[in-house]
Amino acid sequence: MATVMTDRAEVRVLRPDSAREAVTLARQHGGTYVAGATWLQPSCERGRNWPPFFIALDARWPGFRGLQESHQGLTIGALTTLDTLSHHPLMKEYLPCLTGRNGLMNLLAGPGVRRLGTLGGNLMAGGDLTALAFALDARIQLVGDDDPRGDRLVWRYPDLKSTDLISALVIPDCRRWRVAVEKLGHRERFSPTRATIACVYDGNRFRMAVCGEGGPGRLEISEAALNDGAASSTTTADWYQALDAELEGLGWHDARLRLAIRRVLVHQHEELSDGD
Amino acid sequence: MNDTISFKLNGETIACPVSGAGTLLDLLRDTARLTSARPGCRIGRCGACTVLLDGEAVPACLVMTWQLAGRQVETVEGLQDDQDFLVVRDALARESALQCGYCTPGFAVSLVSGIRHQRSGQETDLGEAIAGNLCRCTGYGGLSRAIQRLTDSCCREDAAAGNDNDFSGD
Amino acid sequence: MATETPDRVGTLAMATEPEHGPAKDLYRRIDGQLDYPTDLLDTPGLLHGAILRSAHAHARLIRVDVSRALTMPGVHAVVTAEDVPGLNRFGIVVRDQPVFCEERVRFEGDAIAAVAADSRAEARAAMAAIDVEYEPLPPVTEAVTADRQPPLHDGGNLIAQEVLDRGDLEAAFARCSFIVENEYRTPRQMHAFMETEGGVAIPDADGGMTFRVGCQSGHRDVEQLADILGLETEKVTVEAMATGGAFGGKDELTIQPAAGILALKTGRPVMIHLDRFESCLAGIKRHPVSVRMTTGCDAEGRILAHQVEAVLDTGAYASLGPAVLENFLDHATAPLYRIEAYRVFGRLVYTNNGLCGAFRGFGGNQATFAVESQMDALAEKLGMCPQDFRRTNLRSLGDTGSRDQRVRWTASPAEVLGLAAASPLWRWQEDVGGRWLQGTGMAMGSQGNGLGDGLPDSGGGRICLTSEGRFRIEFGFADYGQNISDAISRMVCQGLECHPDDVNVVLGRSKGPDSGPTSASRSSVLVHSVLSRALPQLKAALCQRASELTGLAQEALSPGPGGIFYRQEKVLDYRELAGNTVAGDLVVDADLDFPVAPDQGQPVGRYLQLLIATVARVEVDRLSGRVKVVDLHHITAAGKVIYPAGYLGQIEGAAVMGLGMALTEDMPMQDGCYQADNLDQYLIPTFQDAPTQRVDVLDDTADDDPFPVRGVGELGIEAVAPAITAAIEAATGVRVNRLPVSPGDLLAEMEARESSQ
Repeated sequence: MATVMTDRAEVRVLRPDSAREAVTLARQHGGTYVAGATWLQPSCERGRNWPPFFIALDARWPGFRGLQESHQGLTIGALTTLDTLSHHPLMKEYLPCLTGRNGLMNLLAGPGVRRLGTLGGNLMAGGDLTALAFALDARIQLVGDDDPRGDRLVWRYPDLKSTDLISALVIPDCRRWRVAVEKLGHRERFSPTRATIACVYDGNRFRMAVCGEGGPGRLEISEAALNDGAASSTTTADWYQALDAELEGLGWHDARLRLAIRRVLVHQHEELSDGD
Repeated sequence: MNDTISFKLNGETIACPVSGAGTLLDLLRDTARLTSARPGCRIGRCGACTVLLDGEAVPACLVMTWQLAGRQVETVEGLQDDQDFLVVRDALARESALQCGYCTPGFAVSLVSGIRHQRSGQETDLGEAIAGNLCRCTGYGGLSRAIQRLTDSCCREDAAAGNDNDFSGD
Repeated sequence: MATETPDRVGTLAMATEPEHGPAKDLYRRIDGQLDYPTDLLDTPGLLHGAILRSAHAHARLIRVDVSRALTMPGVHAVVTAEDVPGLNRFGIVVRDQPVFCEERVRFEGDAIAAVAADSRAEARAAMAAIDVEYEPLPPVTEAVTADRQPPLHDGGNLIAQEVLDRGDLEAAFARCSFIVENEYRTPRQMHAFMETEGGVAIPDADGGMTFRVGCQSGHRDVEQLADILGLETEKVTVEAMATGGAFGGKDELTIQPAAGILALKTGRPVMIHLDRFESCLAGIKRHPVSVRMTTGCDAEGRILAHQVEAVLDTGAYASLGPAVLENFLDHATAPLYRIEAYRVFGRLVYTNNGLCGAFRGFGGNQATFAVESQMDALAEKLGMCPQDFRRTNLRSLGDTGSRDQRVRWTASPAEVLGLAAASPLWRWQEDVGGRWLQGTGMAMGSQGNGLGDGLPDSGGGRICLTSEGRFRIEFGFADYGQNISDAISRMVCQGLECHPDDVNVVLGRSKGPDSGPTSASRSSVLVHSVLSRALPQLKAALCQRASELTGLAQEALSPGPGGIFYRQEKVLDYRELAGNTVAGDLVVDADLDFPVAPDQGQPVGRYLQLLIATVARVEVDRLSGRVKVVDLHHITAAGKVIYPAGYLGQIEGAAVMGLGMALTEDMPMQDGCYQADNLDQYLIPTFQDAPTQRVDVLDDTADDDPFPVRGVGELGIEAVAPAITAAIEAATGVRVNRLPVSPGDLLAEMEARESSQ
């Protein structure tokens, strides 16, 4: 958008009655969706650069808040707060690595921000949960059935338009899977991520993904090398090279951070393979 | 679209005009003249403006006034008779858990929320409750001792009340 | 190894509660009832100011047009360099910083104009409507080469250079069996006080101006502000309010000049409160230091020669840079150790980088990081235990200081070392192995009290009985959270045996006594000296007057809670006593000429010395190179502890600040532009990053020491960083010489060592 406001008081907040109306407004006005706005507000404050319109999303819209089990797995409304995720019994069941004192959720922002921030916001901002969503092959539901991609879209950033509105994240039934997720931050709590690394083993195949300073991405080449036997294990030089090249290609230009990611993945792979 | 909303501030219903994406923090300080919430960063990263929103500790600088309709906001000015606040306040003072004190109301609010969650069993570690509050003076030593004091007294109360909560963590 | 005199060593704990309970002031702070200067939003007629900062790190200022801004809604005044009534310059040491730039901007935070409006939003909007035309100039960004770049000020970019030397260095090096040479770098650390710079300027009907601001030296500020505002000093008042942290970062003037000029122009009170973004941009930081140290010893481990070359980047204006350079050099002589010959050389340069000035430690801890690292490097080269190496070289109680000045310690350095060597942190409970590598390391530091190096340094205080019957104690210090007011109150209660309710401590008013700056850890020394003289005098005066009023014998009377007592019975309350006494009769002024040096003629170095040894235990993540500091154990020798909570808080707080400097804190610059602008990018430790700490106090102060109480505000930061890097080396084998420790660099080094093994 060409127009920007220098003061937040000048922003017009549009309050649609439904998710469909929100999408219509966004297409008409080019507005910015607002949920918890814990990521959006800091970036606007930083540049004194406010969009002319906010389109307010409402957690009361059907399906936008809460967790629900179905044959597809676990559906999580996009406006579910991060705080809810850290305490929800279904999360403890499906993804215990997120909960508990040293679970990923406690490393994600501070407690006050988690109470405002939402799952959808974290995914849109490329936050810590994107690596996990990638590695789990989670899918997102978009609002609007006129969208030919419908709700069967596998998560992919380049496919998203700014007017696309996520209503929910659907994760497969991962209760029997092994899941490891690691955040490399600058300090113990409330740190921006240098790299968040997720590794998932469904009993058959490994899936790996990262997000952080180099941007989010699924490590398809590296995991294929492992799964299809091209590399016998993560400790071989071949696999190191494949991973390093793949990370660099994704945008991870700091070799030292690639080294850390590699070490974490080797560690996670060993952990998840244990007992097999 | 920009209209008036009403919400409860420290127990009193107030109505105020919504100005764009203006924040609860500015409303508290500039309009309500409640200055215990302090603008340490204005981007939710220091915790100095922490208030209770529907009983949960949140940074007031990330709450926009239009989001307040029908909700309840409490600051330390409104918690002066609250039993949980008084317990927190006493622990902070007795352990000298503050120096300049600018950030302290924010810590107090987070701890009030924390001991309530501790009681309900949702989160047992008070250290996690203040993970989003920054203090630059104390090095957190006094805060650590205050938390120990709060946890001890909480356990004592529980024992006295015959509760058998397990505080060993989850 | 353990101390032979354990009764002189005490572990500070909060177990004993103060007699009268926590200070009332603490409750006011917790309740949010204590107003900080930026909370004064209720000031009648208040306008809000905003300062326009430069868009470039270095540029010629071609044109500043405020005409559009003046027509903006809510605007009352827009001021530029032309509107400065007096001197358009300030600076504690050198007045080289313009209030508003004239023909040139020299850093990103340089002020060009200011606006006063009805609201902050209106002030900001008007600020955006000021048209400024720049002609950008190439910025000077490399401190090392700055003095060969185009000059930023008349006289060039080299502000100061100084050499401290002793003995024949070449000859001493020639006799060395082992020599280590290393380069060290320390970061541009930000104070990150929670209350950003701000306050109110309030004009009065007589053309005077009162400032209610966060600051550190009201009296000194008055002089600078009077010159800027073109007023006589009597017309300017500074009331240093309770301040939300300072740590040196509010020693220099911040918003006062702009707020004062706007208030003069509008005739109304003006508040300026920098937001965090602006505070990061315009605020003072710690001087980044690049230093090369070459140190040599003989085969037995006796240090013979020590050479230092350092550059300190002060940024666009000097601020306290020259004094920081001096303190850096003093600490770079390695004052704890006997060294036959040294040559310590340092330069302070101007660049177009952000401003640097006073910051807790004041150059000293930067030097100590390098010095202590050199000690470990030499010990390693000799194959000697670092503690034994230190023990070989430590000064003894009777020795002179590194600059041949007389020195007063409060304990023997070797004994402090012995306690550190006996720390439980050297023993690991369990060898966890696996992911986390564990290590323990230590470092020592010494630090002086007082401004030092011959700078005039004096201060006073006043105590009186007011007509309300309370003791008012006035000092010129500012209270920014160092618990000084509580400490004073306790001393008065002890001295007069009265109740805290009888005491009213008033700090930081420029109309009160001049106590000198709130810096250099000097307040406690001053307070204790002043009160130990003033309290007996006042006590005698009280009893004499009470005796006159009651007819009872003066010797049988004594002050107590609420009034004067005779045989355990209150016979006269303070209000009556005051009411029956001529105002001004019960006042005692006392002051102190700070012991710059007891020997006239050679006032160099610091006379009053404090000691610390810090033992650090760390864990290093084998996967990522990230460092966790698990424990810190400090052994301090800094005189008597008069207020345990305050002492403990100062050591713990300074140590965590030093931990931040060691591990995460830096304000990197690129082409003169800051690369971080708020607390989501500049990361200070959280509660979860803070280690478990223990503070043991060794007090062996000589009976004849005239200053048995020392200030500990800066001691805790002195040795933390080198203790942490020593512990990292113990864990990983990698020594880090550049702060903050980069996990990436550390990991790469760890990987290189693993693959070479």
